[in-house]
Amino acid sequence: MKSKPVVMEHFSTVHTSFVVDFTFTNNITILMGDSGTGKTATFSFIRECMAVNPKILCLDNYDYQKDVKEIIRQAEGKLIVIDNADILLNDNTRKYISLDDRNQYLIIGRNPKNLFATKENLFELASEKVGEQTVFTIKPYI
Amino acid sequence: MITIFKNKKDIPLNKEYIELNDIFFNQNTATRLDGKAAKYIQLIDVSELISKYKIRSRFEDITLNTDQLSTGCKTVLNILYFPNKVFCLKECGNNALEILYGFEEGYVYSDYAMIPFNMERVKVQTSRGCKEIKDYEELKEWWENEE
Repeated sequence: MKSKPVVMEHFSTVHTSFVVDFTFTNNITILMGDSGTGKTATFSFIRECMAVNPKILCLDNYDYQKDVKEIIRQAEGKLIVIDNADILLNDNTRKYISLDDRNQYLIIGRNPKNLFATKENLFELASEKVGEQTVFTIKPYI
Repeated sequence: MITIFKNKKDIPLNKEYIELNDIFFNQNTATRLDGKAAKYIQLIDVSELISKYKIRSRFEDITLNTDQLSTGCKTVLNILYFPNKVFCLKECGNNALEILYGFEEGYVYSDYAMIPFNMERVKVQTSRGCKEIKDYEELKEWWENEE
């Protein structure tokens, strides 16, 4: 599904020697790919930004006991970043996300079911060593 | 070979099902790691097990606690060290799946197909029984059919 990002087209942050530099082309970005590429590490760097950036809302397996759909329903104008999405999001929540035009989503998981996703929503992480830093970006998933 | 469940209700009552592989690994598997884990940590996370609780990360050669392993790698190690429990397969990347499907034993669950292209043979178990499948397409069909 092609829809423009409603909250931000670009997100960047620095965590010591790690740089996150993401450009979003869709309102729902699904970040997938092999295990061990740094997806959860990147999530932790973004989560750190929640303390200073009110537009960021992060959810992961620590929220397993919570009503994730209700948390999302109460959010507005947020980039909602969800790690462990394949176990955290049920079909009902996925359908809600697919129709939510008040928030933007970065979903870390491999199951696009009920998100009405097309290949334009699917991305993987790329990492590049630049000097002493490692820069994480996203690229279309092949 | 591994055994796959596609319905939670088909998991026998005497087998514990683990959905949160990260937490199970941190609380149980991490203390059991030994030399046999090193190969899988290298293959999946491209990291080196340098002591029982430490890895050298692929990123910047930094030393990390084993709690920083990927969920896919943790899932594979959970299955390796606890072959009688059933573990959720959903957070495994293709690189982890390729290794997991070559295991001689272990139980996994997913309600949708997660199959590496190099699969050779697995057991699938439903309430109607257990059978062996040796073909990618046949396994995909089994997973996608209602029973």
